[in-house]
Amino acid sequence: MSFYRIACLALLLFAMTAGAALAQDDIVIDFYFPSATANDAEGIFQRYADMFEEENPGITINSVFSGSYTDTRNTILTELQGGGAGPDVAVMLSIDLYSFAEEGYIVPAQTFIDAMADGDAYISDFFPALMANGVDEMGTVWSIPFQRSTPILYYNADLLAEAGYDSPPTNNAELVEIAQALTTDERDGLLVPVAGGFPIWMYQSFAIAYGQNIVSDDPTEVYFNTPEAVAAVEFVRSLGTDLGVGPAGGAAWGDTPVAFLAGQAAMIYHTTGNLSRILDGADFEVGVWYLPSGPAGDDGAGYGSPTGGGNLYIFDDGSKSDEELDAIWKWVVFLSSPEIQSDWGATTGYIASNATAWETEPLASRAMEYPQYGVARDQLQYADKEFSSYATITIQGIINKTLESILTGESEDAQAAMDAAQAQIDGILAEYK
Amino acid sequence: MRQIASVTKTVIAILFLIPLIFTLLVSLRPETEPVTKGNIFIGSELTFENYQRAFVIAPWSLHYLNSIIFVAGVLLVQLVTVTCAAYAFARMRFLGRDLLLMVILLQLMIPSGVLLVQNFRMINTLGLFDTRVALMIPYWGSAFGVLLLRQTFREVPIELEEAARIDGANLFQVIRHVYVTNAIPAYLAFALVSVSSHWNEFLWPFIITRSEGIRPLTVGLNKLIKTTDQGAFYGQLMAGTLIVIAPLVILFLLFQRQFVESFARSGIR
Amino acid sequence: MRAQTPRKPLVSYLQPYLLIAPTLILVLMFNVLPAIRTVSDSTHRPARGLNAAGKAPEYVGLQNFHDLFDEAHYMGARFLRTFRNTLVFALATVVIAVPLGLLLALLLNHKQPLLGLWRFAVFYPSLLPLIGAASIWSFIFSDSIGLANAVLKSLGHPGLNWLGDRNLVLLSVIIVNIWKQAGYFMIFFLAGLQNIPRDIYESASLDGASDLQQFAALTLPLLRRTLLFVIVISFIFAFQTVEQLQALGEGGPNDSANLLLYLIFQNISERRNWGYVNAMTIVLIGVVLTFTIANFLLFERDESN
Repeated sequence: MSFYRIACLALLLFAMTAGAALAQDDIVIDFYFPSATANDAEGIFQRYADMFEEENPGITINSVFSGSYTDTRNTILTELQGGGAGPDVAVMLSIDLYSFAEEGYIVPAQTFIDAMADGDAYISDFFPALMANGVDEMGTVWSIPFQRSTPILYYNADLLAEAGYDSPPTNNAELVEIAQALTTDERDGLLVPVAGGFPIWMYQSFAIAYGQNIVSDDPTEVYFNTPEAVAAVEFVRSLGTDLGVGPAGGAAWGDTPVAFLAGQAAMIYHTTGNLSRILDGADFEVGVWYLPSGPAGDDGAGYGSPTGGGNLYIFDDGSKSDEELDAIWKWVVFLSSPEIQSDWGATTGYIASNATAWETEPLASRAMEYPQYGVARDQLQYADKEFSSYATITIQGIINKTLESILTGESEDAQAAMDAAQAQIDGILAEYK
Repeated sequence: MRQIASVTKTVIAILFLIPLIFTLLVSLRPETEPVTKGNIFIGSELTFENYQRAFVIAPWSLHYLNSIIFVAGVLLVQLVTVTCAAYAFARMRFLGRDLLLMVILLQLMIPSGVLLVQNFRMINTLGLFDTRVALMIPYWGSAFGVLLLRQTFREVPIELEEAARIDGANLFQVIRHVYVTNAIPAYLAFALVSVSSHWNEFLWPFIITRSEGIRPLTVGLNKLIKTTDQGAFYGQLMAGTLIVIAPLVILFLLFQRQFVESFARSGIR
Repeated sequence: MRAQTPRKPLVSYLQPYLLIAPTLILVLMFNVLPAIRTVSDSTHRPARGLNAAGKAPEYVGLQNFHDLFDEAHYMGARFLRTFRNTLVFALATVVIAVPLGLLLALLLNHKQPLLGLWRFAVFYPSLLPLIGAASIWSFIFSDSIGLANAVLKSLGHPGLNWLGDRNLVLLSVIIVNIWKQAGYFMIFFLAGLQNIPRDIYESASLDGASDLQQFAALTLPLLRRTLLFVIVISFIFAFQTVEQLQALGEGGPNDSANLLLYLIFQNISERRNWGYVNAMTIVLIGVVLTFTIANFLLFERDESN
């Protein structure tokens, strides 16, 4: 190829790519979603988008898979801070509220709900526990539950039966007993996935079971060094050390369900978001139950799990027209409708987030056939808010690092490590008081 | 001595090959049978299920095309910019030449890879976020290429240029017929190094693009790595990894000598 | 000079500048200017607290650097640990991968059966995308279902938590890097060995020198230049190779295996920490710059000899 031809090609390439602005008459909604699931999330979203576009001519949904939850949050923040346009709607962790509200990137769903004819009916259909993280301290609703989950206990019912246990553990003492009975050289009795960068969520289950969540409704308060918080992390640590029912330092998030399916773990704590995958993949009877209660007491007081998963957020810096915002809200309402929630819940195992969805097909019959689907929903009555505060990312980072250092044995004195972390956290939150 | 050498050689080669071999084996095992279950080498059956799932999760042919456009787009522009600059620095005398060369060499000292944050801002200022140009533009100038070709051009006898000038050749004809033609091996080396390093690029494409339609293979693979809630499923991950690494491995098998020589050249400054 | 013709003085005066302009502008835009901005941003701190959005950053002098070197500060603790890891990672690569590359070059320098296969075996890892290499090793290192532990368990060992044990993660990351780089370094040594005239060895063998004696007395001194070069570039690379962490534990528990550029990448999204991110970038640039300049000085001097 001659020098000139290469030069021309190079120029052409430049012109083609730089000038590739498309002319669109439709309103295009850029929709970012996380979590590549083996169940083909993209295919599912494409189906939803097709349904929506058929019902709403003139609106086009541009779905973009955006990686893990962390990737999604980071990419959107980076994009917006760099002056980029960002998405119109995104599924992000329900706890990302303050990270985006602080910067003025998102607008409250409350405005749209208030403008709806049946706004109250729409919002009161959602399970209250799933609304907790989407509402700020003033009571304003910011985001709408979409793919919500809680941690639940999965157990290999065949293995438990072999060892003479007909029912799953309901409190920590039974949990330890059964886990020890089922631990062999080739098999772990219990895997709690606190390794892999995000221990805070699983840890919160234990903190709640010990009687004190680490957050409240006040985004300037965090309770990370209370006696309950310390006792909870010490218990989790002991699973891998003194009690010897799992690996020291905890199991990795991704490996846990795989080990469970391969019969190499008798019980695991994991997200309900994995229910369908596990039910489909297991060649043994899969049992699902509430997370066992902690010392806060039986009869429900010691049950507890944080909620988790993703909400729908609406992005607007004030530049979007009413027409666009209207289209955006239609898409949000569509995705959170009982029909879609029913379909999404049955396909993945995420908790369909409104009550009506559970009476809607396909979830109604799926839940009838597999009672496991209802467990997470019923556990919601004991569920509490997931960790969220001002400066969420930084503070969550401090908590994660501190938990990791305690769980891996680097900080032997849990109390001291958590006191130090609390001091750093209070220093940051003081900026918001 | 000879025996020690061949034993060492064999042991190292096997250790180095194990990851590749098991990537292939695991990609062909049923997902529910990790290597810890049953025969460590071969599962109860051979299956292409993992490949099918990997194809459902990411549009690999699109990613392939994107990677090809990315590396080709970088290389084509580089060839032009590098040739021009290399000629100027090799054969022309002008005010500030050494200083300007030093400025260009700053690229080797402050590689754009470590300037993620600011380069991101720069791309946004230019309004190029999430475009193919944004992917390529930081690499369009190459100090390494300028150095390599400047060195090569200097070894071209000056008499060839003088003869061409007497025949009435203009500047671009001189560059093309005298210098480019006499520096083909250097171009080949530069091209191989450029292509293989950009083919493997991840952080920058990951940060600067959003749309699947322009994202390269490495970013597609990241999607398989981050199957968040569902847990790590190694069969499909290994299948995806093989899909991504296969072309370079095959290219290397075909052009081993050229690769080795080009990479060796990339170090000689 | 020769390129200039007296008839068109202005154009020919401008010619060299036009030729280098594209490269120069690109370097200014994507290397020089960003570096200057990094310096300036590292002395500023974004507004924080309620209603901070949209407010201008505040000039804080060297406070960001001060925080980074403060073990009790939340970012300082992470930075100091990560910086130490990065040094260990770089040193381990140099101490293990470079000699291994040399050994491989010595083994594969002469004609032998299956030479292509041997070279392929040791060189293919350096052609893989870092993230692909890491994804392969994430399977090998997987705790309950990975290959490494399957082998250990078959030997009666309970297995290791390669990516979860804080004392082991950095080692795991280093192993991957050695596997990835040794073949690449081998290439340079092969080139260096090829430049050593054969007859030197022939006279040495006649003198009865053993292989080891020949290596110590002849090969090593003659490879000095290559060796130095490889050591320097392996350092420079080590500070820039971090993509593998995306698949290998994302920095490990409590940053026990985090590397500097990855820590920067992890923090770019959060505005409140931008001052720190830029300050960390300055440290990173400082290290890379030092080694690159050392590289130039060493070889400029060598060339003039």
